[in-house]
Amino acid sequence: MSADPAFVTEASSDASILSQQQAHQRIARREKAAAELSQLVDPQAVLWSIEQLRPYESDGLTAMKATPLLVVLPETIEQVQAIMRWAHSTQTPVVARGAGTGLSGGALPHEDGILLGLAKFNQILELNPEQGFARVQPGVRNLAISDAARPHGLYYAPDPSSQIACTIGGNVAENSGGVHCLKYGLTVHNVLAVTIVTIEGDLLDVGSPGHDSAGYDLMALLTGSEGMLAVVVEVRVKLLPVPPVAKLVMAAFDTVEAAGDAVGEVIAQGIIPAGLELMDKPAIQAAEAFAKCGYPTDVAALLLCELDGIEEEVNAQVAGVSKVFEQANASSLHIAATEEERLLLWKGRKSAFPAVGRLAPDYYCIDGTIPRKQLSHVLQQMEQWSAEYKLPIANVFHAGDGNLHPLIMFDAGKPGELHRTEELGSRILQLCVEVGGTVTGEHGVGMEKINEMCVQFDANTLTQFHSVKAAFDPDGLLNPGKAVPTLQRCAEFGAMHVHHGELKFPELDRF
Amino acid sequence: MTSQAMDNNDDSAGLIEQVQQAVDSKTPVTVSGGGSKNALGNQGATQGSDGSDGSTTLSTLAHQGIISYEPTELVVTVRAGTRMVQLNEALAAAGQMLPFEPPVFNGATIGGVLACGLSGPRRPFSGSARDYVLGTRVINGQAQDLAFGGEVMKNVAGYDVSRVQVGAWGTLGVLLDVSMKVLPAPELELTLVQHANQGDLQAFVPLVRKPLPLSGAMLIDDTRYLRLSGSEAAVRSAAAELGGDVLEDNSLWNSVRDHTHAFFRGAKQSVEGEGKTLWRIGVADFAPALELSGEWLHEWAGGQRWLLTEMPANDVYRVVAAAHGHAMRYSVGATDEPAFQPLEGAMQNLQARVRDSFDPLRLFNRGRFHPELDVSSNVEAARA
Repeated sequence: MSADPAFVTEASSDASILSQQQAHQRIARREKAAAELSQLVDPQAVLWSIEQLRPYESDGLTAMKATPLLVVLPETIEQVQAIMRWAHSTQTPVVARGAGTGLSGGALPHEDGILLGLAKFNQILELNPEQGFARVQPGVRNLAISDAARPHGLYYAPDPSSQIACTIGGNVAENSGGVHCLKYGLTVHNVLAVTIVTIEGDLLDVGSPGHDSAGYDLMALLTGSEGMLAVVVEVRVKLLPVPPVAKLVMAAFDTVEAAGDAVGEVIAQGIIPAGLELMDKPAIQAAEAFAKCGYPTDVAALLLCELDGIEEEVNAQVAGVSKVFEQANASSLHIAATEEERLLLWKGRKSAFPAVGRLAPDYYCIDGTIPRKQLSHVLQQMEQWSAEYKLPIANVFHAGDGNLHPLIMFDAGKPGELHRTEELGSRILQLCVEVGGTVTGEHGVGMEKINEMCVQFDANTLTQFHSVKAAFDPDGLLNPGKAVPTLQRCAEFGAMHVHHGELKFPELDRF
Repeated sequence: MTSQAMDNNDDSAGLIEQVQQAVDSKTPVTVSGGGSKNALGNQGATQGSDGSDGSTTLSTLAHQGIISYEPTELVVTVRAGTRMVQLNEALAAAGQMLPFEPPVFNGATIGGVLACGLSGPRRPFSGSARDYVLGTRVINGQAQDLAFGGEVMKNVAGYDVSRVQVGAWGTLGVLLDVSMKVLPAPELELTLVQHANQGDLQAFVPLVRKPLPLSGAMLIDDTRYLRLSGSEAAVRSAAAELGGDVLEDNSLWNSVRDHTHAFFRGAKQSVEGEGKTLWRIGVADFAPALELSGEWLHEWAGGQRWLLTEMPANDVYRVVAAAHGHAMRYSVGATDEPAFQPLEGAMQNLQARVRDSFDPLRLFNRGRFHPELDVSSNVEAARA
């Protein structure tokens, strides 16, 4: 998605909109911070010229940009601790960043804060196949862990689509999922322990090599906390045995509803597939045109159902799933004949985003989750809105776990189109909440969905979230302004959480 | 279930009202469900023998029943006071189960199981109680009615407050309703009985790294028990590979889970008669045998170890901490030694602040969990 002045509002740091005096003050602050941090790390690891800062202006959500005060790239845990102590004593905001692949602006810089780049923490510290774990630094790429473990017959289960580039530290921050999480869980289920640095610079081990630890389960709080609570400097992940056999069943349907019902029927049979993906017609056609993977293109919906495990079990499940799909009136049914074909059929699905990207100058990816039974209702409503807004939508759906990714196609070059896209996206997220779902299944709130949080949570619950943050970060220095909106912001957004017909935020003035 | 029946079982308004009264009068609250785990944990400041601190008991039992259950969505939402027996029956009727296989102590409720964070034999293979919690409705220490998470499996909106409630012993809020992921019950289960050397835990280590349909692994004296679950074909094939005598009766696992097995019955007598202590020790499955004398039962392929001993609590905590694990006293304490591995330093401070963020007056189950988290200027201020 490309930048648009309308989109770059409060996050903007364009020097031209600052007064000259403000700009001078900012440069002075930058120089002072750079000089002080250069005492703590190699001066080469402090980036503060505008040219050096440019690549860090946004994460995977490129529509939102901001220039940080500076970027610092520590190499050791001691340096991270020293930087955090400095930030704490100078009350400077800190935004941590891994590979910058996040899609919600979670690593969007704070213009008065430092961007803490963890790219140099890229070592696998220990890979223990006998004991089934790996200890890695946060900047290690997700796929690199599985690549290192595979010779031992093991792998790291969560596989977000960006796994070739995204880092494990970012995965912990976002509680990343992937296409196999129905059976193998999310990051929160596969990370055993983390070492964190608090905003005060304390080093703490959270979690344990075993199954639980004393006190509160802080792993649960830290996983998915979007860099709001602490900085992760080491991660201990669980490694699982690679399933000996994986088979992929592809079934086509004449309606999306029939495909959705078939998914429910598979689960009713007691089968939990390793992956269960649904694509609608626009997504199928885009993926096929892009990846040439052999999808039928004249169908309304396509299901990819992967079964893995021990050969005897997989064979039984393939037979069971095939029977379900036939009874659900699948218009075609195909079992990948070879490993190459299985991977090719997955490639089509995994490239759905770039494939849709070829159909329109820009696309906007939504990340709502809904109870699966609401699928046809939500799709029908989106179809209606799509026509109303004159913006085409392609849908890919992690059908097993209800995570829906509508891809809205638009042209940011056309005046007002980005704004309409944003509005449509927001309506879709609000619909997800209405039907009992959530505004974000796996991409995180970040900066992008901060307003929609006001729809999902009431004022007391948001206040409780702020209290949890304050337990870790009393001064609000870690990734400020992200993930949990202030009540003030919710009042300004206007679309407030309405519970039992009561108006919330009674303490705030109305407009 | 009719809506009328549901309303009769919804006591949330009453519970919120009681918490509000406790907040107004700054009275500590003991949260209680079926009472099956009253002997666990610390006695707590709110359970003084003469009740002189004026604490009040909050019972969740009138807040019970299944709110919604859709087998094809793999999600059940229940009220905290629902009895485990009732919940398990409803799931079994649809061919499903709670994958963390929690203990069903006499009268236990789902709220109590989650508050205590208890999981059963399946835990190392399919996950823990917190792994399957998707959403909660909670009364916090300001008598606010809050909802976290939801009924969907993927949800990263806001901090995962639902999961942190699990194993918090009620000190972060009163659970009202909870949504959990459920899974299909296996087509077949059977138990393999193998001869083992006393204390041979290392034999488990390679087994759990293999793609086997294991759902239980324990060592009792010189016998190793393995449970296999899955499709008939997979279970039979793994049974042939692993060897040992096959038991089609799997009741052994429930007896260990529910502490009705001879080891636990004997332990109860030794606790009462000889002043011994039963400990639950959590360590990595590959951790070596611990230098603690007593009688052992090893579950979770070595990851959960039960010890009946005369050794003082401090020795147990010291040895277990050195093995990067944690211990919990699982019997009524003869002394005032803490029931949970003590927290220290910066971790203690952080956890105390987490407690503070949910229950600033330290009203819920004060002293029951980690009393070191309840020492707070807020509590002093509240009393003043």
